Amino acid sequence: MSAKGEVLVEVRDMCKNFGVTVALNHVSMLIKRGEVRGLIGENGSGKSTVTTIIAGIQQASSGDMIYRGKPWKPQTSLEAAREGIGIIVQEMGTIPSITVAENIFLGDYSRFLNGPLINRRKMNAEAAAALEKIGVTDIDPSDITAKYNMEQRKLIEIAKVMAHDPEMFIVDETTTALSEKGREILYHLMHQAAADNKAVVFISHDLEEIMEHSDTLTVLRDGNIIDNIDKKDFEPNMIKQKMIGREITGNYYRVDTDGYGDEVVLKADCITTMQDLLCFNLELHKGEILGIGGLSECGMHTLGRALYGLEDIVDGKVELYGGKVTVTTPESAFKNGMGYVSKNRDTESLVMNAPIGANISSTGYKKNRGWGIFISDKKERRYEQLQVDSLAIKCTNVFQPVRALSGGNKQKVVFGKWLAADSDILILDCPTRGVDIGVKASMYQLIYDMKKKGKSIILISEELPELCGMSDRLLIMKDGEVTGEFFRSDGFDNNQLIDCMI
Amino acid sequence: MEQISQQAIVKDIPRLGLMDRIDIMKNKRGFPLVFPLSMLALLAVIFHILTGGEFLTLNVLKGVFNQSLIVGTMAIAVSFIYTTGNIDFSVGNVMGLAAVFGVMAYQVTENMAIMILVTFLSGMALMMCNCALGVIFHIKSARVAVVAMSVYSAFTVFLVGAEPLKVDYKICKVLEGNFRYIAFILYFAGCILMYHKTAIGRKLRFIGGNAVCAKQTGINENESIVTAFIFAGIGVGLAGVLQILRTGSIAQGVGTGMGMDVMLATVLGGMSIFGGAKSNAYAGFIGAVTVTVLNRGLLMLGVSSTLIQGARAIIFLLLVFMNSERQSTLPSRQQF
Repeated sequence: MSAKGEVLVEVRDMCKNFGVTVALNHVSMLIKRGEVRGLIGENGSGKSTVTTIIAGIQQASSGDMIYRGKPWKPQTSLEAAREGIGIIVQEMGTIPSITVAENIFLGDYSRFLNGPLINRRKMNAEAAAALEKIGVTDIDPSDITAKYNMEQRKLIEIAKVMAHDPEMFIVDETTTALSEKGREILYHLMHQAAADNKAVVFISHDLEEIMEHSDTLTVLRDGNIIDNIDKKDFEPNMIKQKMIGREITGNYYRVDTDGYGDEVVLKADCITTMQDLLCFNLELHKGEILGIGGLSECGMHTLGRALYGLEDIVDGKVELYGGKVTVTTPESAFKNGMGYVSKNRDTESLVMNAPIGANISSTGYKKNRGWGIFISDKKERRYEQLQVDSLAIKCTNVFQPVRALSGGNKQKVVFGKWLAADSDILILDCPTRGVDIGVKASMYQLIYDMKKKGKSIILISEELPELCGMSDRLLIMKDGEVTGEFFRSDGFDNNQLIDCMI
Repeated sequence: MEQISQQAIVKDIPRLGLMDRIDIMKNKRGFPLVFPLSMLALLAVIFHILTGGEFLTLNVLKGVFNQSLIVGTMAIAVSFIYTTGNIDFSVGNVMGLAAVFGVMAYQVTENMAIMILVTFLSGMALMMCNCALGVIFHIKSARVAVVAMSVYSAFTVFLVGAEPLKVDYKICKVLEGNFRYIAFILYFAGCILMYHKTAIGRKLRFIGGNAVCAKQTGINENESIVTAFIFAGIGVGLAGVLQILRTGSIAQGVGTGMGMDVMLATVLGGMSIFGGAKSNAYAGFIGAVTVTVLNRGLLMLGVSSTLIQGARAIIFLLLVFMNSERQSTLPSRQQF
């Protein structure tokens, strides 16, 4: 029986670079049995890089690893999983077009071989057992994975990792994709694993969450390990300071109670969509930040898409500027000064292989015209560079592909694209999802600056503190309907908000 | 604690490996133009040395250019379609059938201008048929191309019959020189301007890179694809005219297999046939010249045409492999 506190994984002097971007700079760390090790740092600090190297998803540029006393250099995540190291990745870790059971045992089908054929019944039964082991009983292993929502897919991924009964498992910024129930399942699994003398590495941008569930915290900044902190020494402001390298005060939301204009700039007039919304009404005023909150499946994401013309509206209409314009397609929305930041940043808001500049200037083809229909390179470069500079996007130049950036910097590119367009109405669907507090703080400031300039913003979020901190008015949704309307001037009461959600 | 922070930060920055350096180089702005041009120049120099100084002569180079003209024009044309992530390899047959219509128009009217006009319009109309099937009925462009190839090829065989259709060779001879060059240069320059200096190319690249993102950025995908096919149609029509002028006759096998040559030229020119952010309008022409240089050079060295076909196939496979986009970061980086 292995002892608590025994070193399970040792990382020695590890380096990793993607082109000129240094992701890890001589990182050394020890991961011990019986502990939940929190990893915290800004986007691009190297948290995911170090853990994905341990889990075999990618290889280090240099450095060594020791696992269970032996040299460790996994070539694939499957090899790592077989040897007892599992990872639940930040983004999609399941394949939508295959069944749940096939996802859970991906790459490990040989154990179900019956002659040349796979014994599906056995595979499904074991998959059901794996799901039940983590407390999930409402997913049918024989179903195609695409049938399930994002949270359920994340739970399938958790079951997949736990099916291998790992010695160490890594939770990489997973909780943002989970509801309260899903989070409880994950927390329970983490603490159970630590109690069983296994090791857990937990990555999260939620400081409160990571402090509550970790025994030790490792702070990374720009690919360097800055400090290891024991639970007894946890102190939020000190941790933030180490993460960012400068002092950040506790409150980064707006503190004012400035109102907003009377002019209605956007009106949803009894809109009904194919799913989620039935005769939904909404008004957005000039200079207003309208928060929309609720549980993940309450219909708020569909609402955001419908307002921007991305959902088929079967009845009712979305009008702008007092009925002068009706939004029917994203094209008409864009042409009339609207912008939309999707919650699925990588798949919907960015062209990953395109340069940073091309992503930003995609909203400015008309603005950057020089002579006739011809685009002025000079104007376009200025348009792009202005956003890169003002948002402090960490990159070598505007020609660098977006895919090489960290999550927070990618999100800055998305923001930059719409800021440059100078949109009058902006729909932000979970804009700070998966970004660190430093980036969050600057995004809140940007949102507030836009409000002050008279722009109108719809802020859709699953995070109540964010909604309360930024909104002038807050609509809480449940089952596609508004169950509560609250005003900043009256103060937001968390209990009341939660009552309306559930 | 502060000391730990400082110690960590002053450590050396890791050294860049070869692959990192290649990656940096590939991301340079001028790379898509400089690299294939350098390869072309290198190939020409190698053949020049191997043939004992016979390759880089005016006659050979003129021959290479003339031979590249038709495939090159079509490659420029389809780069608009490829950029969007759509594939159309029926362009050879479209060009062939357009040329047939043009020659038939000439035989009726004996008017060269009408022949050119009919060839142009036929090329555009046939490309728009392909486009309509994709845009209106949402059939994948590759599937449309497979059907179109067979249908257009059958029409060509039916209309041409056993004997090639002929036009007055004397008039062809007159138009063969400057007209061809001027028409090509105008088309090439027009495409470069519209693709690289207006929103057209940028939108096409955005659609090819991520159609969902393009839609959310207010780009009308159907409108852009129709534009792409219009430009492609003009190019294919022009290629049809060049084809007629080159030989003065059209046989029933005209254009067959040329779709693949165009694809090979595109890839050789350094553009991915999967489209997206790194696409451009000139790669196809550079590629077409490269293919011709390769063919001509190997022929001058006495290599048999069968072996040349084999060499082309291997190069094509290698380039497709190198061109396919693979993640250099996390394989799971796609967000849900």
